[in-house]
Amino acid sequence: MGKIMEKEKIAIRVQDLVRHYNTDGIMVKALNGVSFEIHKGEFIAIMGPSGSGKTTMLRILGLLDKPTKGNYTINNLNVVDLPEEERNYYRLTQLGYVFQDYALINEMSVAENVYILSLMEGKSKSESISTAKEALEKVGLGDKLDRVPNQLSGGEKQRVAIARAIAKKPRILFADEPCANLDTQTSRQVLEVLNTLNKKFGQTIVMVTHEAWHTSYASRLIQLRDGLIVNDKKLRG
Amino acid sequence: MLDDVRVGFTSALSSVKRGNKKTLMFIIFVLALIFMNLIFLPSFIGGISSMFTNFMDYSYGDIVIEPPGENPYISNSDNVLQKVRAIPDVKSATKRLDAGVSIQYNQKVVGSTLTGLIPSEEYGVSNYPYIIKEGEFLGDLSQDEIILGGMLVQGYFGSEIYDNLGTVRVGSLVNVTYANNIERTYKVRGIMEGTFELVDLNALISYEEIEDVFSLNGSKATSIVIKIEDNADPAEVKQKIILAGVKEPVFTSNEKSDAILRQAMQSIDMIHVVSNIVSLIVGAALIFIIIYINTLHRKREIGILKAVGITPGSIRISYVFISIFYVVMGILVGLIIYFSLMFYFTRNPVLFYENINLVPEIQGGLIIKSIFKMLGMSVIAGFIPAWFVTRKSILDAIWGR
Repeated sequence: MGKIMEKEKIAIRVQDLVRHYNTDGIMVKALNGVSFEIHKGEFIAIMGPSGSGKTTMLRILGLLDKPTKGNYTINNLNVVDLPEEERNYYRLTQLGYVFQDYALINEMSVAENVYILSLMEGKSKSESISTAKEALEKVGLGDKLDRVPNQLSGGEKQRVAIARAIAKKPRILFADEPCANLDTQTSRQVLEVLNTLNKKFGQTIVMVTHEAWHTSYASRLIQLRDGLIVNDKKLRG
Repeated sequence: MLDDVRVGFTSALSSVKRGNKKTLMFIIFVLALIFMNLIFLPSFIGGISSMFTNFMDYSYGDIVIEPPGENPYISNSDNVLQKVRAIPDVKSATKRLDAGVSIQYNQKVVGSTLTGLIPSEEYGVSNYPYIIKEGEFLGDLSQDEIILGGMLVQGYFGSEIYDNLGTVRVGSLVNVTYANNIERTYKVRGIMEGTFELVDLNALISYEEIEDVFSLNGSKATSIVIKIEDNADPAEVKQKIILAGVKEPVFTSNEKSDAILRQAMQSIDMIHVVSNIVSLIVGAALIFIIIYINTLHRKREIGILKAVGITPGSIRISYVFISIFYVVMGILVGLIIYFSLMFYFTRNPVLFYENINLVPEIQGGLIIKSIFKMLGMSVIAGFIPAWFVTRKSILDAIWGR
């Protein structure tokens, strides 16, 4: 009974994850066998120097890349061998991903950038628009639905990216250095949004960051070096 | 699938609405030129082809029946005509009697072929009634009246090339001497100009007159000229005529045409076909390149869409929509340019061989075919590059690899 309950609490379980790739004939060992578990409702900060494997790990967990070796489950589903079509569907319905450089479609309005995913999920246009509006209000951009990304500041763009990721109410939200291109004040706004999502709505968040002060918003810190976990500690809660 | 189409359409609509307007205009302009290339030159070639076809119409219509073997005449041509007219694809048919003559006016004498015809029947078979430049065409009641070809009359098209009858005009009296030495005097009723030697060196008179001069009976004819329905194939109708029991030799105008003319028409047809193929290949390649570059330019965008969970199918549909939009706009602009040019060239024809006006021919069928070809190409050109890019891994697409 206890085991079943424990299993239900686990959002991600990673076992001996390895990712090696070849760049211009040079073998890069990005991940060298990492294992850990992430519980539902946790706000994880992943830190480490450049080349430590943090972004690679986030991409694998976000189903944007595949590991060379190892196993991992998301919400108890082994996703390593999922066919491409199912990975796509899983990404659409279960996971949210916030990119370092926002990755918004410049030719779409703020609302379109967000509601296109709801359309993809099969919702009607009006339902999709109201979902997008709700998500954009959560990140404080409810009044900028018709703007295009080029008319927004860096912080606003990142908040649109977050709104896009949370509009579909994902089980897990991945954020790859979401404040990398932002000043301190704007970074604080973005991190507050993530913090609210985690605390108020129980959103599981896995965030890669370079800045030590960002970890003050996280509940747990995982530190990587040379593709291995060198530190894994609880910060609060 | 329906969701793929909805998302593809939404994405395409944003792309078109908010994409770079200068790039959009450039793409549409190039596509308009590609479309023009598909229809403009063929319209001119079609004009030349029609011009040559019209030349052939005078003498041979679409199909001509001639006397068998060494016989100078088709015997009982009315019987042959009856069989021919009963064939559904035959629009009209008439008989003619040709005779070699010399024509004299004042002191000038020229040799010519005098064609005896039934005037009212010629309206449905040849262009003779429509090329009278001075005076009038013959009527069924015309007696002792003659139509002269322009080359026999000083000042008309090509009259300087051969001997002519000088200042002869409508109302002048000319003496005609037949091969049997019978000489008759006729009043010039009209002068025709077909800007074609085989026509303009001839003269026309009524069928009964030749019949009378040579004392022919039993409805003799030197040829039976047949016009067929517009969509009928001359070769097929020829076979039907033979199957209807016509024993005399039957020729299509193409078979009977003068060697040079035939060669010219064949060359024109060949140019037409080659130009069509080249235009199509160049058009397809250009559409493909334009859309391919445009798609590659958006590789990162495609990667992002895939990364957030948009299906590859909807991304491909989106690019097909964009491609169709470009091509439809290109076709519309192309049609505006095309019809403007056609309007101009119809009013200001290109001068061909001294004074022949070459007017391009607007071919509805060709335009519709070209529109479908362009749309077909746009679907392929939109789909293939998007298919290539969506097959790439998400990270490769985002990084532009």
